[in-house]
Amino acid sequence: MTLSINANNNEVTGAWDFKLVGEIDLSNAHYFKQRLEAALSEKKQNIIVDLANLNYIDSTGLGVIISVYGSIKKDGYSIKLLNPRDNVKKLLNISGLDRILC
Amino acid sequence: MPDYMKMSVPGKPEFVGTVRMTAASVASHTGFDIEAIEDIKVAVSEACNNTVVHACKSNVTEYSVEFESAETGLTITVSDEGTGYDVQTYEAPVIGELNEGGLGIFIIRALMDEVDITSKPGTGTNIRMTKYLAKAIA
Repeated sequence: MTLSINANNNEVTGAWDFKLVGEIDLSNAHYFKQRLEAALSEKKQNIIVDLANLNYIDSTGLGVIISVYGSIKKDGYSIKLLNPRDNVKKLLNISGLDRILC
Repeated sequence: MPDYMKMSVPGKPEFVGTVRMTAASVASHTGFDIEAIEDIKVAVSEACNNTVVHACKSNVTEYSVEFESAETGLTITVSDEGTGYDVQTYEAPVIGELNEGGLGIFIIRALMDEVDITSKPGTGTNIRMTKYLAKAIA
């Protein structure tokens, strides 16, 4: 599946801006995790993920978000998920992520 | 008379998307709307993920996916001949506590109308899930 990830250190907001385009599933969730961890190893700060162009995500992608959120939460940082499409929003609701990260 | 289709899938992550696209096509043919098709795509992918991660990491190189398209809805069965597991040990994640484990099965149960999982250590795993058309429920 095709997944394009754009990561930008937003010095104004003091957060990493991630833009996801395509689909996240078992075949590429590890790549998503690598990109998040690489950003955090460069600079630990909040993460904002724009989901407007993410067409599909499953439990493997949600698991990456949960895992990374768990690792930065103890240092006082968080992840914010923005603009999910209806199908993605439904999974965020089922998993309970919407109540914490949206 | 239901339409029946069976595919044999390599136990590799990159083929889960192929099953997902096939499921979307069969669901559309069955008569589901876009929201239901999205539900079916996710559910079948989660079942395949379960197989690839658990069964195919050991001795299994492929698994099967069966589609049964009927006037009342669509039944999909994902089967492997892996090591299996004790279904009784499955623990659903506690929503709000953000657990990673068990999320796939939890999502399948949330999105499909009927889900039956049979698995025992040494006999493989069979996940059978059905979604009914709205007109069949009405």
